[in-house]
Amino acid sequence: MKETLILIWFNFIFYILFILFSLIGIPVFSAIVAFQSIFISRRKGMKKFRRAISWYGLVIIKLLPFPFVRVFYKDLDTSGYKGPFIFTCNHRSASDPFLMACLPYEIVQVVNIWPFKLPVLGFMAKAAGYLSIREIPFGEFSRKATELLNEGVSIATFPEGTRSADGSLGQFHSSIFRVALKSGYPIAPVCITGNEKIPARGTLLLKPGVIKVHKLPHLKYEDFKDMPPFKLKNDVRQIIADGIEAMEGKKSL
Amino acid sequence: MTEQEIIRLTNDVFEESFEIEKEKLKPEMNIFQDLGLDSLDIVDLVVALQEKFGVKIRNDDRIKNIRTLGDIHKFILSLKAEGASPSL
Repeated sequence: MKETLILIWFNFIFYILFILFSLIGIPVFSAIVAFQSIFISRRKGMKKFRRAISWYGLVIIKLLPFPFVRVFYKDLDTSGYKGPFIFTCNHRSASDPFLMACLPYEIVQVVNIWPFKLPVLGFMAKAAGYLSIREIPFGEFSRKATELLNEGVSIATFPEGTRSADGSLGQFHSSIFRVALKSGYPIAPVCITGNEKIPARGTLLLKPGVIKVHKLPHLKYEDFKDMPPFKLKNDVRQIIADGIEAMEGKKSL
Repeated sequence: MTEQEIIRLTNDVFEESFEIEKEKLKPEMNIFQDLGLDSLDIVDLVVALQEKFGVKIRNDDRIKNIRTLGDIHKFILSLKAEGASPSL
């Protein structure tokens, strides 16, 4: 009974703060960036805007639910390469896009149609140049993604395409791997665990928990340039599956 | 060309182009859920099948109804029955 009350209280407080922060924080962030953009180039303006989105994501996923939800980010890539990367992540929860804010890079996410339709977040996603994979043909998607990478912007994707219903890793779509093969940029697998119930699919109820985000060593273009896209996507899928099992203590890497 | 040869050659495409293990290549396997192909992979598959069998199948509407590996076997067999002559 006590646990249920705490859960209700936690969710009540979180969503009140989430709505307030979204309604106040986004317009304030946007206004500040818009004002600064008058005096700087469009490229720098976009960079600031994406940084503002990262700050927003960090507040939503790390600050507001604390201490009931704690997030730990670990970079396991010791190569020293600074990006840009093509991040490929597993997808278990609606909180995954917010967790991308943990990655300390300028990022554009590849999203489905629905995030663009959200009242405030949709505006931010459009303004930041997020790519709606289902609304543009592959050729245009590839061109836009490559342009962003050439500008130094990393791309974050969830190649499963949709959230996993049972926590298992779904089949991967090959689009982003074809972009990697065409553009020559490295792929950085990212594993997310612990957020299966923050929130679970089909509900908005957040359960307390510890979320881990691990950025694995990146795959260099030279190492995958001769692979067919199908093999590349499945190799990366296997790397992520192994990473998740290691994080969940089921397997050692 | 016998039915068994067509099945073997079709399965060869999956092994060569997609590096899918022979053990997985069963007729009941769904090419999307079980074998992991997506819409872009299907384009690659069509090209590979065209090359393997020397036929034009890109604009054939029946491709849209294909779900399993067995469907592909049946599709290629029907092409053969219709008179498309595979050239190997």
